[in-house]
Amino acid sequence: MTDSRIAATAGPLQRPGRRWWSGSGSSSDRLFSALGALSFVALWWVGSVTSDFVPPIGEVLDAVPTFLTEEDIYGDISDSLTRVVGSLAVAVLIGFWAAYLMARRGFWGLVVARYVDLAIGLPSTIAALLALFIFKRSEIGVFVVVTIACFPFVAITLRQGFLSLDRRLSEMSGVYRFGGISQIRNVSLPHLVPYTLASIRNEYAHAWRVVVIAELFAVNSGIGWRFTQAYDRFLLVDVALWLLVFITILLGTEYGILRPLERWVLRWRGGEL
Amino acid sequence: MSPPYIDVEGLKASYDGSRLVLDGVDMAVEENEFVAVLGPSGCGKSTMLQVLSGLLRPVAGRATIAGKDMTGSSSDRPRVGYVFQDHRLLPWRTVASNIELVLEAAGLPRREWDARIDRYLDILQIGQFRDAWPMRLSGGQRQRVSIARALAIDPAVVLMDEPFSTLDEVTARTMRQQLVELWQESSRTIVFVTHSIREAIFLADRVAILTRGPARVLEDVEVPIGRPRRYEDAEITELESAIVDRVMGVWGYEEGTPA
Repeated sequence: MTDSRIAATAGPLQRPGRRWWSGSGSSSDRLFSALGALSFVALWWVGSVTSDFVPPIGEVLDAVPTFLTEEDIYGDISDSLTRVVGSLAVAVLIGFWAAYLMARRGFWGLVVARYVDLAIGLPSTIAALLALFIFKRSEIGVFVVVTIACFPFVAITLRQGFLSLDRRLSEMSGVYRFGGISQIRNVSLPHLVPYTLASIRNEYAHAWRVVVIAELFAVNSGIGWRFTQAYDRFLLVDVALWLLVFITILLGTEYGILRPLERWVLRWRGGEL
Repeated sequence: MSPPYIDVEGLKASYDGSRLVLDGVDMAVEENEFVAVLGPSGCGKSTMLQVLSGLLRPVAGRATIAGKDMTGSSSDRPRVGYVFQDHRLLPWRTVASNIELVLEAAGLPRREWDARIDRYLDILQIGQFRDAWPMRLSGGQRQRVSIARALAIDPAVVLMDEPFSTLDEVTARTMRQQLVELWQESSRTIVFVTHSIREAIFLADRVAILTRGPARVLEDVEVPIGRPRRYEDAEITELESAIVDRVMGVWGYEEGTPA
C-alpha cells in the first residue's frame, strides 16, 4: 500500500497544507462566503417589503440591544445548549458502541444495524411526539429525542472508521510488541479521531435543529419554547431575534470552536512532498 | 559446531490452513551476516519474514533466532527490527514519537530514548525532521525513519521487506549505499527480501534464491565481490546474468516467451 493510502485510511481527508489556525481558506473563499451572507440579507429585505410576516431588518436590529439586556434569555439559551451538548455526548457514546458492533458484524451487529436503520428513518417530529407520550413534559424526553435523532448518524460515520482500521499498522504494532492497550491507545483510537470529530461536527448542527423541535412539545424552557411563545403571540420581531440567536450560536460554535479544534487535532495531516 | 544465528528448518506456512505459501524452507544465517532473499513476486518471501518476526505461526518446521524459538508465543523471543515495503509510521505521531513508542514497547529505559533517537536519525541524515509529522516527509525520508525505528531498539535481527521498491531510482540507490555503510558500522544481522537480482547482489554477502510459490530455497549463492561495491560494477552485472540464467526456467518464464 502506498504512503498516500495510509493517510487516506486515517479518516476523511481534508484539503492538505492548510494551517490549523487559518480561517475559511483563500481570499476567494472568503469573498464567496461574504456574498452568501449578503444574499441572505437581501432575501430578508425582499421578504420584509413583500410580506407582512417578515419583520424589517431595521426594526429587528433596533430591538437587539433591549433583547440582549433581558436576563432570562440567557437561561433559555443555556438550557438548550446543555440539552444539545449532553444529548450529543450520549449519542457519541452510544454511536461508538453501535459502530463497533456493526463493524464486527455477527448477531449483535445485525440487531444493532436494524435499530440504527429504524432511528435514521424516524422523523424528529414523530420522535418528539412519542417522547411526549412516554415521558410526558419532562427534561428527559428532550434528551432522549435528540439522542435518538443523532446517534445513528454517529454510528454510520464511526462504522466506516472501524472498517477502515489499518491492518498494516496493526501488523507493525504486532512486530514491535505494543501490547493490547498500547495498540488501542496509539493505533486504533487515533485512527477513529477524525471520524469522531466529523460526526460531532455534523451532528452538532443536527442536534440544534432537533432540540428546538423537541422543546416546542416537551418543555417550558429553551430556544424552541421561546420560538413558540413568540409565534403564538404573533411577535414577529421576537421570532426573528430568536432566529438570529439560533444562527449565531450554531455558526459561532462551528467556526469559532469546532473547526479550529478539528484543524488543531488533525494538524498531523499535511501536504505530502 | 554452534547452530546458526538464524536457523530455519523445513518451514511450511499457510494463511488459510490449506494452501501452502512456504513449502519446506531451509535457511541458515550467521551473526552479522547480510543475506538477501531473492524470489519472484508473490512467491512467499514476505511470508518468511512474517514467520521470522513472530507475526505468523508456521504450519510445520521451526525458526530460531539466537537459539530462541520464533514460532511460539514465548515472551523471551529476541527483539526484531522490521522495515516494511511501506513506512508504516503512525501519521498522528511525530518522527521522534514514533520511535519512542517502539522503544517503550521494547522495554528500553526512558533515559536512553533521546540519545538513541538522535543517534539513529543523525546516522540516517534526518535529524532535522525529529519533530516533523510523517506525512510531511518525502517517501525516502519516511523510509529512513522506518529504518531508524528498526535499529533504535537494538534488534537481534533486522528484517527488511523490499524497503526501497517504492522509491525513485536515485533515492533507492543512495539508500542502498547508506544501508551497506550502516551495516558495516553497526554489524547487524540483516535479512533483506527483494525481487531485484542486482539489488540482492549489491547489498548482500549471500543470496538465498527461492522458487516460485509455494516457496522453498532453490539455491544459496555466495557473492564473491569485495566491498565497497558500485551498483554498476561489471562483476555485479556478470553475477546477475548468471543468476538470471539459473532462475529463468524455475521462475516460470523462458527467454523469448512473454512474461
